[in-house]
Amino acid sequence: MLEIKHTLCPSCSVGCGLNVIINNGEIVGTFPYKRHPVNAGKNCLNGRNSIDCYQNKFEKAFVSKSEVDVEKAIEEVSKELNSADSSDVTLICSGSNDIEEIKAIKEFGESKNYNIAFYADNLKDFADVASYDEVAGADKVFVIGDLLYENPLIGRRIVHAKQNGAKIYALGKTENSVTFNIADETSNSSVQEFLDNNKGNIDDSSVIVFNYVDSQDDLDKIEALNCKCLPVFSKSNSKGTLGIMEAKSSDEMIELLENTKVLLVFNDDIAAELDFDFARISKIISFAPCSNKTTEISDIVVPIKTWLEKDGSFVNAMGETQMFAAAVESDVLSEIEIIEKLNG
Amino acid sequence: MSYVLAKSQNDDIHNAGECGGAVTSILKYLLDEEIVDGVLALSPQNDVYDATPTFITESDDLLKTAGSYHCAPTMIGDIVQKYLFDKKVAVTVKPCDMRAVEELITRHKINKDNIYLIGLNCGGTVSPVSGRKMIDLFYEADPDDVVSEEIDKGKFIIELADGSEEAVKIHDLEEEGYGRRNNCQRCDVKIPRKANIACGNWGAEDGWTFIEINDEKGQELIDGAKKAGLIETKNPAQGAIDGREKVEGIMIKMAKKVQDASYPLVSEMDEWSRCISCYACRDVCPICWCFENCELNKPYFKDETTVPPTPIAFQGVRLSHMSFSCVDCGQCDDVCPMDIPVSLIFDKLQKKYYNRTGYVAGVSDDIKPPLYSPEKTEL
Repeated sequence: MLEIKHTLCPSCSVGCGLNVIINNGEIVGTFPYKRHPVNAGKNCLNGRNSIDCYQNKFEKAFVSKSEVDVEKAIEEVSKELNSADSSDVTLICSGSNDIEEIKAIKEFGESKNYNIAFYADNLKDFADVASYDEVAGADKVFVIGDLLYENPLIGRRIVHAKQNGAKIYALGKTENSVTFNIADETSNSSVQEFLDNNKGNIDDSSVIVFNYVDSQDDLDKIEALNCKCLPVFSKSNSKGTLGIMEAKSSDEMIELLENTKVLLVFNDDIAAELDFDFARISKIISFAPCSNKTTEISDIVVPIKTWLEKDGSFVNAMGETQMFAAAVESDVLSEIEIIEKLNG
Repeated sequence: MSYVLAKSQNDDIHNAGECGGAVTSILKYLLDEEIVDGVLALSPQNDVYDATPTFITESDDLLKTAGSYHCAPTMIGDIVQKYLFDKKVAVTVKPCDMRAVEELITRHKINKDNIYLIGLNCGGTVSPVSGRKMIDLFYEADPDDVVSEEIDKGKFIIELADGSEEAVKIHDLEEEGYGRRNNCQRCDVKIPRKANIACGNWGAEDGWTFIEINDEKGQELIDGAKKAGLIETKNPAQGAIDGREKVEGIMIKMAKKVQDASYPLVSEMDEWSRCISCYACRDVCPICWCFENCELNKPYFKDETTVPPTPIAFQGVRLSHMSFSCVDCGQCDDVCPMDIPVSLIFDKLQKKYYNRTGYVAGVSDDIKPPLYSPEKTEL
C-alpha cells in the first residue's frame, strides 16, 4: 500500500515540513510538503536525505561490537550504572530528542544524581528571537555563517530580505561562502571583529542571523545589541531543549567529559562535535537509531526509534512548537521506554 | 474523439464532486470491477490547501478524493514510475501530469497497458502557501474558512464554510505577483488529450461533467461506468462544445502572451548565483529518471569549491539531457530552496525545440524520445 504522510525535517532547527512516501509499511522516499508554512515544499539535500537514518537503522543492539538482543544490552547498561559512582556518570541530551524525551532524560538524570549535559553548537538560548518573517522584512541582515548553504530555508528568508531592499552583511569562515553571493558586504574576520566593525550599522531595523560564534563572549555581545537575533542550531529541537535546560559551552563540555567515567549519549553524535579524546572515558553507551561517530566508539549501543516511528514535538529556531506523528509503526523501543526499563 | 456530458448516479458522489461527480464514479467503476488495483488521486490531508496524492484500493474511500484542488501543485509521474510500475492503476492527471506520464511511457518507465489516465482540464494551479497569503491580502475571507476553490471565467473563486463565495480576477492577482504559478501562467496545454478521457466543467451545465473521450480505452470507461449504473450521460449541445472551445482558446491566448514576454539572459540573472547544488530540481523532475547513474553525481562534478556551480556546468548537463522533454510542470521552481526560476530556461529550450521540430513534450506523437532524435543534434 502506497501512502504519503506529513512529518518534520530533523536535519536542523529551521523546522521544515517533509512528506515521506511509505510503500508496504516502509519509508521509501520523500515528497514535497508544499502546504508547510516554513518551507512550502522546499527541502535541502540534508532534509531529503534525512530518511537515510531510517533506512539504515540498527536492527540489533551491540555490546563490545557484538550483536546482542536489546534486552541484554539494556541489562548491561543497568549493570554499568549500578556499579558506577553517580558523580562519574554523565548523560548527554541532544537537540535531536523531542520535548517529552528531554524531560524524561532530565528527570532520570536528576533522580539518580548523574551529571546532565546538553551541547547546542556552542550557542545559547535568546529570549526574544526574530521570526522568519522578521528576517525577510528587516532593513539590514547581518549573517554569521553560510546560512544560504547550511540552512537554506533560513537562507531563503535572507534572499527575500535582499529582494525587499535590505542590505546584507555576511561573515563567513571561507571565501567560498554562498551567502557572499547575495551580500552587499562580506568578511572573513572573527565574529567579534565583524560585530565591532558593524556596530554603527546595527540598529532596531536589523536582524542578526547566525549559526556559529567563536566564543561565549560573542553571544553576550550579540545579546547586548539593540536588535533582534536568530540563532540557528544544527539540530531540530535544540531550541526546545534550551527551554528545559541550559546548554554548555564546548569548554564546559570538555571539562565535564574529563571527569566522566560512564557516558550515556541520548541520540547525539557528540564525538563528531567536540575535539576530545573519548578513549579517556571508561564506558560509552549510545542510544541511537543509526550509526554515527559516537556509536562507532561506544561500548554499548542500544537502538532507539527514529523520529519517523514516534509521535513528538520539536521547537524550531524561531520558537514555534511543531508536532509530528509517527509515519510508520515500529517495535523498536523509544528512549522513554528504555529509561522506564533502566528505572526498573 | 467524441464528447459526452456525464454525472454520477450516486447521490453522495454527486454532491461531493466538483461538477456532478462523474470522475469519482468512473474511478469507482474501475475499482469495483477490479479493472485496476488502485486509484492514485488527490485527497486533502489537513485542509483544502493540502491535497496530497493518495492511493485508494477500496471504492468506499474514493469520496475523500472528490472535488478539485487548485492549491495542490503536485506531480504524479515519479510516483507511478517508481512505486506503481507493476500495478494496474487509474490516475487523475492534470495536463502536466499527463505529459510527464507520456514521456515516461516513451522511455519504458511506465507501462501504458497498466495505466488509465483520467484527465482533468486545468487552468493552472496556485502554490498553497502563497495562495493562503493571497486570500489573506485580496479577499475579505480568512484563509482557514475556505472550504473549496475554483478557477472559472478568469477569476479565482473561493467558497466559505457558510456557503458564500468571493471572486477576484486572476489577472489582477497575477499583476501583484500572486495567482497561478509562473509555469501555469505560460502553459498552453489546458486539456489533457493524451489521457483516455479529459474531464472538466468548461462548457458543462451545472451538475454535469463535460468529458472529451480521446481513445478507445476512454470510450470503454464511459460505456462500462454507464452500464454499471454509476453514471448517467447525455450528448452536449453544440453551444456547450463551442463554449468549452472558447474557454480553452482564451486560456491558451493568455498563456501565449506570457510566453511572448522577454526574459533576461541567464548570464544577466542574479538568481543563478544562489544555487547551492542541492539537486532538488533534478531529483523532483519527473523526466530526469536516470537518477541512479546521473552524470552530475560523478566525481568531477563534486568539487565543493564550485558551489555555486556555474549554470552551464550544472544546469547545462540537465538541459542537454532532457530540456527537449520538459513538460513545464514547474516542480523544479517549487522545490528550489533558493527560489531560482529553473523551469524558465527548460521551458524556453523546449519551446525552441518545438519551433524547429514541432515536438511538444508529452503531447506530440513521436516514436522516440527527442533525446535520441536527429533534430536534437541539429539544434
